[in-house]
Amino acid sequence: MSVIQVRNLTKYYGKARGIVDVSFDVAEGEIFGFIGPNGAGKSTTIRLLLSLIHPSSGSMTLFGQDVAAHGPAIRRQIGYLPSEVYYYEGMKVRELLQYSAGFYPGDWRQRTAELADYMELDMGRRISDLSYGNKKKVGIVQGLLHSPRLLFLDEPTSGLDPLMQRKFFDLIRRENARGVTVFFSSHILGEVQRLCTRVGIIREGRMVEVSNIRTLQENNYKKIRLSAEGLSAATFDLPGVTNLQSDNGVLSFFFRGDINAVLRRLSELPINDVVIEEPTLEEIFMHYYE
Amino acid sequence: MNIFLHELRANRKSLLIWSVIATLLVLMAMSKFSAFAGDPQMLAIMDSMPPAMLDALNMRAFNLTTLSGFFGVMFIYFGLIGAIAAAMWGSDTIAKEERNKTVEFSLVLPVSRSRIITAKALAALVNCVALVLITWGMSLLAVRSFNPDAAFYRFLRLEMAAMLAIELIFLAVGLLLGCAMKRYKRVGSAAVAIILISYFLSIASSMQQKLDFLKFFTPFRYFDAGELFRTGRLDSGYLLLSVGLVVVCLAAAYWSYNKRDLMI
Repeated sequence: MSVIQVRNLTKYYGKARGIVDVSFDVAEGEIFGFIGPNGAGKSTTIRLLLSLIHPSSGSMTLFGQDVAAHGPAIRRQIGYLPSEVYYYEGMKVRELLQYSAGFYPGDWRQRTAELADYMELDMGRRISDLSYGNKKKVGIVQGLLHSPRLLFLDEPTSGLDPLMQRKFFDLIRRENARGVTVFFSSHILGEVQRLCTRVGIIREGRMVEVSNIRTLQENNYKKIRLSAEGLSAATFDLPGVTNLQSDNGVLSFFFRGDINAVLRRLSELPINDVVIEEPTLEEIFMHYYE
Repeated sequence: MNIFLHELRANRKSLLIWSVIATLLVLMAMSKFSAFAGDPQMLAIMDSMPPAMLDALNMRAFNLTTLSGFFGVMFIYFGLIGAIAAAMWGSDTIAKEERNKTVEFSLVLPVSRSRIITAKALAALVNCVALVLITWGMSLLAVRSFNPDAAFYRFLRLEMAAMLAIELIFLAVGLLLGCAMKRYKRVGSAAVAIILISYFLSIASSMQQKLDFLKFFTPFRYFDAGELFRTGRLDSGYLLLSVGLVVVCLAAAYWSYNKRDLMI
């Protein structure tokens, strides 16, 4: 069953483009990555699905129900972690979480305490006194405390230190193992690759690709830059090399394929310096879709 | 229920501030009145003032040396305080969620937007009623030493009912502004502008016979203190007009808030 079904969804803010003709499905129990550069329309898509804003055209269902018609019933099953977390400043963390839990039928006190404990969140502190990272932790606990069946995470790791990021990913994996569907939006390719099974790539408001993470990885480019004595562009005239540029004895190119072919060629050269790195998402976009 | 209680708590400080303002107004007025009370010279001074000015301050209808007369002149201030407080409460209770960026939290909770408006409006309504009760209570305390007669108490009760009616109108207007305006930063100034315009319309319409028709556009004239004093009741036509205004504003508020995009 599709937990999320989006068809030809379009949103304009006046004349400004939000998203255009976006369609995709997310199956139950899936962790769906949603990647794209800033301003591509990731948050717009999530806010549309949460009915915070209304579409210009197109349709969307969550759990098979129309989002506009069944908002409150649908949202009972949804957890949302916004990219920037804002709560009522005067409240204490515990009060805020109790307030939030009060909207969902059931008793969530124990789960709230467990989650706060796991995320090392001090519930006695006032929201206004919290750092950005700690507010994010409140967001994580608040988004998960009612045991939602569907989770929307919008740039969830910003503000969390690496240790917390790992704990957070473990938590998401655990929730996912219980059957929770996760919609994970990010501009960091690495974390999407770590967690997701399938990804949608959005660019300038349009969904340019929905594919398995494995397919994307096979298509993955390395960005290589090196300087060496007697270097000419012809040295790296290999299959899989693109965008070859030579500038003042520094050679740079993208490579896609078996990296050993490049390494063998490198070992024959008197190298001064070499950098092999992941291209940024932007570079992949620019390259991938040329 | 959650939202209602949360809003009540959030509004406490503001209610306290407005109650202090109302109390100060009553106390200041009473200290002034002790100078006017029963002094025939005052009447002579008033008579020498230009009639238009007396009209503007609504002073002609009343004998300022009596307590009822004095409270008649005071009514516009009660009305203004109630109007400003109610409009602020109504508009801010909605707009603050966007201003403080808490909409992404509060509107993702499993409640409909209509229920949110209802809960917030009821919490603001509690504030409005409380402000009237406090103003009323303070007035009763402040006039005790003047031993007012039963007619005064009846008139005060009428004024307080009128103050509540004005509050309700501006509460509904405020709610509409908060719900309908996308630019939440301007909601507060829009509310103040509407109140000031209404106030000046009410002055203009009472000064100039030609401008009399303007009275339909300003709630401050729906409940004219002079009329209240003369007739001893709220005008049912204007009362009906007020109810209509409130209903229209509320309907527009619910409709526009459900329809519009939230600013995040």
